[in-house]
Amino acid sequence: MKEIVVISGKGGTGKTSLTAAFAYLGGKDVIVADCDVDAADMHLLLEPDFQEGEDFYSGELAEIDPEACIDCAKCAEICRFDAIANGNGSYRVKALDCEGCGYCARICPTEAITMQPQNVGKWYISAIKRDSTMVHARLGIAAENSGKLVARVKNEAKRIAAEQQKNLVLVDGSPGIGCPVVSSLSGADFVVLVTEPTVSGMHDLKRVYELVRKFGIRAGCIINKASLNDDVSQTIHRFLEENQIIHIADLPYDENFTVAMTQAKTIVEFDNAQLGHKVEESWVRICNVVNSLEEKQT
Amino acid sequence: MKIVFTSQGTTWEAKIDPRFGRTDFFVIYDEESGVLDSLDNRAIAETAHGAGPQTAQKLSELQADILITGNGPGGNAARVLTQSNMNIYVGASAMTVKEAYATYQKGELQEF
Repeated sequence: MKEIVVISGKGGTGKTSLTAAFAYLGGKDVIVADCDVDAADMHLLLEPDFQEGEDFYSGELAEIDPEACIDCAKCAEICRFDAIANGNGSYRVKALDCEGCGYCARICPTEAITMQPQNVGKWYISAIKRDSTMVHARLGIAAENSGKLVARVKNEAKRIAAEQQKNLVLVDGSPGIGCPVVSSLSGADFVVLVTEPTVSGMHDLKRVYELVRKFGIRAGCIINKASLNDDVSQTIHRFLEENQIIHIADLPYDENFTVAMTQAKTIVEFDNAQLGHKVEESWVRICNVVNSLEEKQT
Repeated sequence: MKIVFTSQGTTWEAKIDPRFGRTDFFVIYDEESGVLDSLDNRAIAETAHGAGPQTAQKLSELQADILITGNGPGGNAARVLTQSNMNIYVGASAMTVKEAYATYQKGELQEF
């Protein structure tokens, strides 16, 4: 089984649009894992049925037992997030402000404060378009993604792939370079970097590639909207060459991506001529590279 | 030398876990005594953030000389580990613990 992770560093490069198209092209052969849980939107294109769901707990929130509280105000004084306030004569935790650090629980002289596991949302196993399976999650309001949730989603996808004897797990990776991205990348066989020819696109590509390089994972890059800025596209080409990153494709700027999205279609369903064809070529290229990698004995 | 492997099980035949922070187990081999031991790290799945540094902390308490793993630790975990004079070898993802040890002995594992 091989694991392909798609990441971008910067948001808005077209990572999820392309991952959804690849999921569509891969069809039954691919188990999809949506690890971009902060702003999950791949479900808009892949029509999951939310077959199985389970509550997910991550991080903790402070809770004050009013019976045991002696109103000493120590917790409110030391909380650097100003998450403890006195309202109507008693101290309470403002759930949206609490970061769950646990300092208040530690210093409370009467042990009136306990840390409670926080229900941050649900994760799901769904049947999607083209008879495939997707593992994904939905977070509650103000809840955040974590390495824990990403690891959970990925592990489920791998378990299903092993069970159904599928060869590929396709992961829509998390944005940025923090904990969820580390969790998205670790264990991957191949990384697809999706970027765009803008200064910030280039900057974030370099940052996230640092991480990929450190992990020693083979990488390829798609420059999406390449026609927007030839100069920056050329600079990215040079960067790819210098770092021996496989240049998978340059895709032109095309508003059909957006039109397809408004119809809840992947680009390959909407436009199977020029642009769709180019995306399909990219997918074939990725599959060829992945198949040529040394077989992982899992 | 005391050698630690990130692994998916507890024996010589166990597969290397390519992940560092969220590895399921550590297999610990003491070359002097020939004893093979293991440590269960699965409780790490409950950690939302900072799995890497936490596992690194646990590992430094084991006082191992050598770590053999797959992808290698992320930035924060690597910073903790460099304090402990441990030599880190990566690229053992596809191997069993036994194969990884043999490859290490041949000097064919890449230093992190």
